[in-house]
Amino acid sequence: MNMVEKILARKSGQKSVAPGDVVVTDIDLMVMHDLSANFVMKVFDNEMEGASIADPAKLVFAFDHNFAPATREAAEALAAVRRFAARHGIRNLFDSGCGSIHHVIMEAGLVTPGMIVIGCDSHTPIYGALGAFATGVGNNSMAALGFAHGKGWFKVPETIQIHFHGTPMKGVGPRDISQFLVGHLGEDGAIYEALEYAGPYIQSLDVNDRSLFPLQAIDVGGKCGFVNPDEKTVRYVRELLGNSAAAARLELFQNDADARYAHIIDIDVSRIEPQVACPPTVGNVKPIDAAVGTPIDVAEAGGSTGGRLSDIRTLARCLTNRRVHPGVRLQVVAASRGIYLAALKEGLFEILHTAGANIFPPSAGSNQAFNMGALAEDEVMISTQARNFPGRNGHPKARHFLASALTVAASALTGRITDPRTLEDL
Amino acid sequence: MSQTIAEKILAAKSGEARVTPGQIVDAYPDLVMSHTATWRSVSVMKKIGANTLYDRDRLAIVLDHISPAKTEKYAADQQTSRNFAREYGIEKFYDVDAGIAHLVLMEHGHVKPGDLIVGTDSHCTIYGALGALGSGIGYTEVASVWVTGKLWMKVPTTIRLTLEGGFAPGVSAKDLMLHLIGRLGADGCGYKSVEFYGPALRAMSISERMTMANLAMEMGAKCVFIPPDEKTLEWLLPRLKDAASYKPVSADRDARYEQSIGIDLSSLTPMVACPHQVENTKPVTEVLGTRIDQAFLGSCANGKYEDLAIAAAILKGRRIDPRVRLIVTPGSKEIMLEAMRSGVLATLMESGALVTNPGCGACAGDGGMMADGEVSLSTANRNFIGRMGSNKSSIYLSSPATLAASVLQGVIADPRELYRGASQ
Repeated sequence: MNMVEKILARKSGQKSVAPGDVVVTDIDLMVMHDLSANFVMKVFDNEMEGASIADPAKLVFAFDHNFAPATREAAEALAAVRRFAARHGIRNLFDSGCGSIHHVIMEAGLVTPGMIVIGCDSHTPIYGALGAFATGVGNNSMAALGFAHGKGWFKVPETIQIHFHGTPMKGVGPRDISQFLVGHLGEDGAIYEALEYAGPYIQSLDVNDRSLFPLQAIDVGGKCGFVNPDEKTVRYVRELLGNSAAAARLELFQNDADARYAHIIDIDVSRIEPQVACPPTVGNVKPIDAAVGTPIDVAEAGGSTGGRLSDIRTLARCLTNRRVHPGVRLQVVAASRGIYLAALKEGLFEILHTAGANIFPPSAGSNQAFNMGALAEDEVMISTQARNFPGRNGHPKARHFLASALTVAASALTGRITDPRTLEDL
Repeated sequence: MSQTIAEKILAAKSGEARVTPGQIVDAYPDLVMSHTATWRSVSVMKKIGANTLYDRDRLAIVLDHISPAKTEKYAADQQTSRNFAREYGIEKFYDVDAGIAHLVLMEHGHVKPGDLIVGTDSHCTIYGALGALGSGIGYTEVASVWVTGKLWMKVPTTIRLTLEGGFAPGVSAKDLMLHLIGRLGADGCGYKSVEFYGPALRAMSISERMTMANLAMEMGAKCVFIPPDEKTLEWLLPRLKDAASYKPVSADRDARYEQSIGIDLSSLTPMVACPHQVENTKPVTEVLGTRIDQAFLGSCANGKYEDLAIAAAILKGRRIDPRVRLIVTPGSKEIMLEAMRSGVLATLMESGALVTNPGCGACAGDGGMMADGEVSLSTANRNFIGRMGSNKSSIYLSSPATLAASVLQGVIADPRELYRGASQ
């Protein structure tokens, strides 16, 4: 068995499971952001009279789309979730300004290897980077099974192993490679399959960089994504948990040597150039040449795929003693309070602010344009965000390109989509 | 002879030797400020068929109220303003990252003593902190001034306010103004110029003076003057492109005032404006214990560096009450940078605050909206019904010190308790 199969077997009380089996399991953690918490809460309140929450300690709400509600309706929705949480004894409520949901939850040490995590956010598979089985579910499933019973049912997925080897060329980072994979497999390239990210390249990455891969599993239709947990996983989790009892109990579910795969895909990362996902979808991924020269109005480093400390460091390195192009509004959004404070204390924000960037509160940033990120009809944005669908950021004709923090930085400097390899000192 | 500051400036800007209160003059403003409403003036200009400006260098545009855009509509409106600035070569154009128009224009040296400045914002009175005549006008009038260069104005009568004594610890310029607004009423200085004098004034920082000139609008003032002194010179000179343009205007000794009011600052206590009028002021001691859900530290009244630093000094090493959401919005890019460098920003974040990008923020309904029944304590200058969200929410206004003391307890609190503690 592989990691996913072992977790599903353990949590459903069976010795072993195989792809295609349907299992009912306990759920360890249920995560929702402000938008989905509100939807699930309404289903629970309106459609499930008399139900009670099986285990409120397993629920987590993190308000990330609204860092400061821009409308009365948004304010009412947040207030309703706060009241729901108080009424049901849900203690894990991270209010507006906490950051981007998954980074907040990881930073709080709420996810440990071997857990089953479900969330009403399609990027929930990110926790596969910590050796957990994590997947997105609908609002109704969350309310009816998760809230009421603390359980979920799953069909055990087939697993594809993506084996990455080689050393990336200068100017190419994990975002380029994870994005390349999306384009390579296609948006329906791994429907209801588990993706295992493996090989020397993945092993060389830290947990934060690894997390980009399972985070994007959904973009190829995957059920979940994971990295077989290793000593880096353990170190990452132990650092967060300190000397707690949970830290002492850590149990890894590692692949057996004879784990079976539906197929194995081999990728040589040394051949991958900087990648951009062009409008109108995340799967429209191209080598950067296809977009180079496109004038931009807005650049953003932020969101679950780009507000990490490493992204902000990349940006600060590129913008030290430089100015953002006068035609560009550069937005920087840390993915958590911890990242914000670290960037502030390292002096990164001072560098970026002085270069002309606008620093926003920890949040999901321009994702779906709740507090920021609305574009006019003919405006163009390049960002590290996870999604670029038409109308997601203002006018349906506005265009949104997705790229690495380095490509965003290079483009913010020149005012056009720029191959970071062409700029000196980057 | 025998002229007030407003009379002298209006005479100079309309080419008259002297003017008298009640007289209508055609004045030529030195600067026309327009903020997020700029697109409205652009469409008025189109509507009247005009396509030339009287003097493009007199225009200043700052996109501050909704920054950045939350909707497609705002994005399109901001693009209209941006394109207008580009097309007409407006050099004093500041985009959504700059901060609040008033603070940005003063910081960039676009406001000098003796200037006449009009703009699409009622709190233009703030320019009086540097000795300029600032007054709010509508966006239609702005379009007209863009094209013709002039605006008709009625010369106001003037009230003279003399400040003596000094503030007790925990009491500040905001409390003085809330006291005055409560005492004189929302129309107590309706269409009048207000000149501040007195020994206490010299001790006041430029930041405090800005708070005063800003809030005088809430007692109806047409314009406000805090006569420039060494502090004004010291603050402003490095910001001016041309030092020779610094020419303070002062009132004549025998200038005629409609009324003279004296205030002893040492007699003042922390004040709070209660829902839903700024003039509904009470000493903080009368509302102690009022529950708050949200607190907002920001605005052109109290989103300056000193205001943030006062709050940070109180919050340092402490956590805000978990029932309260504290939103901090630095007034401008310069203010945010200073707060980054001094550690004030980190202190606020560590106490549990949410620090936003610079701008008007929640004061103008840009983020930080409130739900039915919620209560906000804000350092802004207005608390009207529905200004920060639901018509069933309520807003109290206070100084930064009162706000900081209150977020620690989750209820409105008296900051003097903390200062007493500190001095022991």
